[in-house]
Amino acid sequence: MKGIVFTEFLDLVEDKFGLEMVDKIIAQSELESEGIYTSVGTYEFSEMLQLLKNLSANTNISIDDLLLVYAEHFFSVLKISYPDLIATYKDPIEMLASIENHIHVEVRKIYPDAELPTFNVLEKTENSLTMIYKSSRAMHHFGLGLMNKTFEHFSATATIVIEKIKEDGTEVKFIINKN
Amino acid sequence: MSQIQIDILQRALNREKAARKQSEKILEDKSLQLFNATQELKEANEKLELLLEEKTSQLQGVFENINDAYLIMDLEGNALKMNDAAIELFGYDLKTERFNVVNLIYKPDANYAFKSFKELRKKGFFTDYTARIITKSKAVKWVQINASLIYDKSKQAIAAQGIIRDITETRRTSELIKEQKIELEKSNDELQEYAHIVSHDLKSPLRSINALVSWIKEDNSGKLDAASLQNFELIETTLEKMEQLISGILLYSSIGSESVKKEKTNLNMLLEDVKQILFIPEHISIKILNELPVVYGDKVKLQQLFQNLISNAIKFNDKEKGLIEIDVQEEKSFYQFSIKDNGIGIDKKYHDKIFKIFHSLNKTKESTGIGLSIVKKIVDLFKGEIWIESEPNIGTTFYFTLKK
Repeated sequence: MKGIVFTEFLDLVEDKFGLEMVDKIIAQSELESEGIYTSVGTYEFSEMLQLLKNLSANTNISIDDLLLVYAEHFFSVLKISYPDLIATYKDPIEMLASIENHIHVEVRKIYPDAELPTFNVLEKTENSLTMIYKSSRAMHHFGLGLMNKTFEHFSATATIVIEKIKEDGTEVKFIINKN
Repeated sequence: MSQIQIDILQRALNREKAARKQSEKILEDKSLQLFNATQELKEANEKLELLLEEKTSQLQGVFENINDAYLIMDLEGNALKMNDAAIELFGYDLKTERFNVVNLIYKPDANYAFKSFKELRKKGFFTDYTARIITKSKAVKWVQINASLIYDKSKQAIAAQGIIRDITETRRTSELIKEQKIELEKSNDELQEYAHIVSHDLKSPLRSINALVSWIKEDNSGKLDAASLQNFELIETTLEKMEQLISGILLYSSIGSESVKKEKTNLNMLLEDVKQILFIPEHISIKILNELPVVYGDKVKLQQLFQNLISNAIKFNDKEKGLIEIDVQEEKSFYQFSIKDNGIGIDKKYHDKIFKIFHSLNKTKESTGIGLSIVKKIVDLFKGEIWIESEPNIGTTFYFTLKK
């Protein structure tokens, strides 16, 4: 997993819960990296999973909710890092529909070894989109957070329903309707 | 600040320091990777440039060295590039003037030219366009052009190239040869006709002389002495010989003039006929060693061929037991025959001459010197070859081939 996901995560934890919480969840987790992350490095996904679990345990907030908040924060990071890519879109539905065929293609150019989820479009109209999310990471709520922020970015809102196709969340259907 | 807080800050600081070092190392490694990749790219680029230069110089060499004119033009026919041969042929030089290939079109060939140009645009090429052009100095030249379109990366035609061969001289030569061939055929025919008429005309005065001589003999029966009678006999022999000569010329001139009748001819049967016609003395035996083939050709000429060679073999045999052997070998595209005798043989110095007309080695009554030239002419008609092996006093073998 790309280092920026870790550094941004820990920054957000520090922001919301203080440096003690950061220190605590690092200490509670068994981390090969010893909690030393840099945005240009690459680290095991299992480390992120442990950090999330321990944060959830310490704060009584579900992992899904933590991911949602984190994703909303992460969208602003993307906006700062890749403004040109986002500027090529005029509409949130268009942007979300092209995750697979455009955005991930661009990501692979910069990070050839990135392990990306797939977003296959089932149905698309001007104001609605149905996609299947597939990833062994089961981070669909991270996706949801990014989607929420995408609509916000284009000054729009949407109702997004998540239907789990697999119980463990590795395959999920997103039904998006623009309001 | 409590000790716990200090410890937390201390740990955070340590992590930050370690992260900084880690990122510096990652970036350094990346820089090295990038540097190496750049270096490799540079080398590859240099190699490519070298290759390009080499290919360019090869092409330039071809462009300059081909003997034919080479021209590149845009799709409107404006000449873009030419080699020296083209400058010499057309008379235009792009260094000093512009010109369009339309300027080269010779009016009577214009339709053909425009049609070919259309074909080039449609099919992408044309081959062996043969027509006249008019050069800058108004000279008319025959050329043969092979042309093709040049395409860019997106397969769009952008220009056309052509190799133009000046065939003016070749054409003139081949036309000259054609004319000469017609003339030659005509004079050959005339000659044959002439020989035919002359020999015919010569025969009637001969017959008159013969008649006159026999009248004189009759009129003076009993009055002539032995010497005169012998002289009269000599006159008659000479007349007979002359008659044979003229007949020979007639026969020779008729070969090749008649249309060739082609038919299946069984040479075994033909040889039986020849044996019947020829007078074969007691002491001569003829052996056919192999089954002879059935060939396709004019029966009369084939008979003349064998008859002449066998009669020669009989005529020039001085042995007590004369032996003539006829044999054949089949090859891929022809048959090779041989007629071998144990006669007087022919000296090596005459081997080439014997096939020429009137070249008799033996001035005897029966020998006119025409037989072998007829044989040669017939073998030529069959696109075959004839040669001999011979040793004086031992014998002669005539070999000849007949194309299947």
